Amino acid sequence: MADVLSVGVNLEAFSQAISAIQALRSSVSRVFDCLKDGMRNKETLEGREKAFIAHFQDNLHSVNRDLNELERLSNLVGKPSENHPLHNSGLLSLDPVQDKTPLYSQLLQAYKWSNKLQYHAGLASGLLNQQSLKRSANQMGVSAKRRPKAQPTTLVLPPQYVDDVISRIDRMFPEMSIHLSRPNGTSAMLLVTLGKVLKVIVVMRSLFIDRTIVKGYNENVYTEDGKLDIWSKSSYQVFQKVTDHATTALLHYQLPQMPDVVVRSFMTWLRSYIKLFQAPCQRCGKFLQDGLPPTWRDFRTLEAFHDTCRQ
Amino acid sequence: MGVTCVSQMPVAEGKSVQQTVELLTRKLEMLGAEKQGTFCVDCETYHTAASTLGSQGQAGKLMYVMHNSEYPLSCFALFENGPCLIADTNFDVLMVKLKGFFQSAKASKIETRGTRYQYCDFLVKVGTVTMGPSARGISVEVEYGPCVVASDCWNLLLEFLQSFLGSHTPGAPTVFGNRHDAVYGPADTMIQYMDLFNKIRKQQQVPVAGIR
Repeated sequence: MADVLSVGVNLEAFSQAISAIQALRSSVSRVFDCLKDGMRNKETLEGREKAFIAHFQDNLHSVNRDLNELERLSNLVGKPSENHPLHNSGLLSLDPVQDKTPLYSQLLQAYKWSNKLQYHAGLASGLLNQQSLKRSANQMGVSAKRRPKAQPTTLVLPPQYVDDVISRIDRMFPEMSIHLSRPNGTSAMLLVTLGKVLKVIVVMRSLFIDRTIVKGYNENVYTEDGKLDIWSKSSYQVFQKVTDHATTALLHYQLPQMPDVVVRSFMTWLRSYIKLFQAPCQRCGKFLQDGLPPTWRDFRTLEAFHDTCRQ
Repeated sequence: MGVTCVSQMPVAEGKSVQQTVELLTRKLEMLGAEKQGTFCVDCETYHTAASTLGSQGQAGKLMYVMHNSEYPLSCFALFENGPCLIADTNFDVLMVKLKGFFQSAKASKIETRGTRYQYCDFLVKVGTVTMGPSARGISVEVEYGPCVVASDCWNLLLEFLQSFLGSHTPGAPTVFGNRHDAVYGPADTMIQYMDLFNKIRKQQQVPVAGIR
């Protein structure tokens, strides 16, 4: 038993101390017996007094001896260990009624489960960080102290560079014209006109595409004061659908380190809408599905599909 | 204004004009179209007055003055193969003033009235063509709002027309052939209506001749 518990209590000394307590009790009761009995019958008064005093002194000495023995043993017993590994929750284990209140075993299970969860979450976040889904170039979860001093440069590009990239893309495709303006601060707003089919308003944040709105060729893209209207939706269902697809596309084409490649791929994908009303769906072969032409363009092959026909 | 196709629906065998219109509207409602009010397109004919004809004896030209409830503040004036003028409604008053040059042909007013239906981005108008008190035929107009270039979306329009006109689907209107990449405008729609009204006027003359 002593080695199983190993709580720093010397059990040998413990049992000896208990017997020492019993010895002390008996010697103290002997003292009081002696006092109660009084003097024994002897020939002379002096003899009786001497015998009584000698007896009384013997009893007191034995009490003293037993008390010293007990003190010595109590020092050997030692204190129970202060560094209890389970602290207060360990006291729950002392509850003997296990089947009605199985608190301690449930507590242990919950603790093991949460430890495992934390471990797995750590592994998962390490793997997921390798495939970053965030569109900014900042590292995820890096605290302020550990952030590198030099900010990533793709978010803070000079406006002249953005203008150059856009004008180069403008010259790439003959049927697509891009007009750049900066009515609200440094973020560029592009008005892309694709043939006589549609107009797209693209709101950018340095060289990253933030939002797009697609409207018909004959719809008004300016507000009453002549500024570019970046909020109102198209009044035609087909262009509302194309706006949703364009938002999907700008989330799909992502490369935080090379934003001009991203803009180029987005414009190439947008250009495939020049045949919005002419191309039948590649899957069902028809032009109309629920009154809508094929509005989806595959991101890799640029083929036209109905929204309900795409794989 | 999107690309529009105006066509005539022949009256079904053994049925009246009214019943055929009802058949069409029921088909449209089954397709899922919503009723959105009524429409009216009318047309008056004017001859160039005899006094203005020169000694060469040219034939008088016919001018058509049309109104469309889709453009309530406008008035359209067109010659048969000539230009189309889009003016505001005061043009009617102007015509009264120009009595010396243009004379109204008798009993020439022809109009079509009916209901508008909206299906997704398509606007469908089914109307009864009347000349005076008698109903002469059925006009069907389909407009596809988002597209403004006629040659782009003819196939799409054709597919839609087939879905509710069935075998009576018309061929491509002649205006589509003339303007390949130009933006479609309301004048083109009025030219199509003018052609339709002329065809219906000529049609009615045949039974009259038969009665005689």
